[in-house]
Amino acid sequence: MRCIRAGSLSKSYGPKAAVDRLDLDVECGQVFGFLGPNGAGKSTCIKMFTTLLRPSSGSLEVLGIDALREPLRVRSRIGVVLQQPSYEPTLSVEKSLDKYGMMWGVPAAERRRRASDLISEFGLEGARRVRNEDLSIGQRRRVQVAREFMHDMDLLFLDEPTVGMDPQARRGLMDYLRRRVSDGLTILYTTHVLSEVEYLCDTIAVVNGGRLVTTDTPESLRGRYGGLKTITIRVAGPPGSLERASMPGCLTDAEEGTVTIKSDSPEGMLSGALRALAAEGLQIEDIAVAPASLEDAFIRMVDDAPRS
Amino acid sequence: MHPVARLVSRNLTISLNPGFLIWQIIFPLVYIFVAGFAYSALIPEIELGGARLDYPTFLATGMIGFNIMNSTLVSGIIIWNDRRHGMFEQILCGPFTRTHYILSNICTIAIVGLASAFLIVLVGSPIFAGSVELQPMTAPLIIFAAVVGSVLFGSIASIISTRLRSSEGFNVIINTVFLFFAFVSTAFYPAQGAPEPLATAFYLNPLTYLVDVIRAGLFGTVDALAIYEMLALLAMASGLFALATKLITRLDL
Repeated sequence: MRCIRAGSLSKSYGPKAAVDRLDLDVECGQVFGFLGPNGAGKSTCIKMFTTLLRPSSGSLEVLGIDALREPLRVRSRIGVVLQQPSYEPTLSVEKSLDKYGMMWGVPAAERRRRASDLISEFGLEGARRVRNEDLSIGQRRRVQVAREFMHDMDLLFLDEPTVGMDPQARRGLMDYLRRRVSDGLTILYTTHVLSEVEYLCDTIAVVNGGRLVTTDTPESLRGRYGGLKTITIRVAGPPGSLERASMPGCLTDAEEGTVTIKSDSPEGMLSGALRALAAEGLQIEDIAVAPASLEDAFIRMVDDAPRS
Repeated sequence: MHPVARLVSRNLTISLNPGFLIWQIIFPLVYIFVAGFAYSALIPEIELGGARLDYPTFLATGMIGFNIMNSTLVSGIIIWNDRRHGMFEQILCGPFTRTHYILSNICTIAIVGLASAFLIVLVGSPIFAGSVELQPMTAPLIIFAAVVGSVLFGSIASIISTRLRSSEGFNVIINTVFLFFAFVSTAFYPAQGAPEPLATAFYLNPLTYLVDVIRAGLFGTVDALAIYEMLALLAMASGLFALATKLITRLDL
């Protein structure tokens, strides 16, 4: 089943098209990464998907509902963590979770249970009675994300949810989101931190200039756009021996004592280089393999995309 | 629970903090029991539609309208805070429409306005109870004034909150506007005897109409002027509410 189906979706502000004829299908039951450089149109898309903004043209179905005709029905089944902070400054963490659940019509006993679980899950025990305005930015962001799980939903939009969070909280959130997805939730996830995308996302869409560049799995995108793998060998041995070693296609740095292989399939070159190094009596101290990175792939995708 | 009721519950929770409640009780008490008796030597007696009132009685009944007006600041503060702290967008991402949001604000200020009126009636009654002429129209008139006055001043506060983003600007403008309403009105002193153009300015101020209607209800002095004032209140409240609704509906997301 498709959670989001956008057909030729556009949003213009005067003559400027923020989103230009975007076609997108998001399957349910996965974490869908929605990436793009600043100003690519991601936030505008999310505002349209969440019915905050009405598209200038095109069609949009969310959870099988026509979002242009029945926006309230869509909103009653989705959760949204927007990019900008949102909080009730004078309420404590516990009270703000409870009130948010109340706004969604969650019964009081269930609200208490969920608030208690979420406070524990998001590491907010020490801040339970602290007012939102007195929290750190990272804590406030954690409350904002936790709050969204106070109500039931089928689709969750997370727009840069980890901004301000420390690495531990970030990893905790990723793992929690994975568990929720395995329970049937679908997440549309936006971030500029590509390590999060690699850890979390099943599928990625990249937008640029308001247009869809590509949609694929992280592995395929790395393969298609990621470029060369890099193998770095650190060696030790008699002076001059590294220069004498015959290793076609490899870069050597005698001062640093390193040999670098850059290739899309460097395995064959590696075995030849290791034989050549052994023949010169060089000892291998370390071998580091750097796979083609999603970051390289992302930069290449965005740079190669036609400008609108 | 209806979405509007859920938002009203949320509005009341975030608005009714101890500071606001103290402000709503202590401030009028000081006016009634300190200024009321202190100024009674200067303003010994006031004629009001045939009834003669001492100054503390006049002031205590004026404070009902004043407190209703003050309580409606809540409306502007809610909207301004929601915009500043991202809750306006967040609420509209949820199972609510802008109409729900606007109606919840109106219900909130009507509740707070009625509660404020009741509070001053309660604390001020030892002062004015002896002069009150209870009639069948007394309670409906006070409820009418409290609700319509709340909507009117709440709409003004809402309009200001939609136009200003900085906290300094919002506080300066809203306090200046409400200070003008408070002191260029008949809440604190009668219009008769005031120099021109001040006496005329009193009647360009909706708070004057509000307190006049409340006094007419309490002291049984409903006359043609009071009815015109009720109609003027209703017309102004409707117009300002329509404008506030339009501005909230057009707020960018």
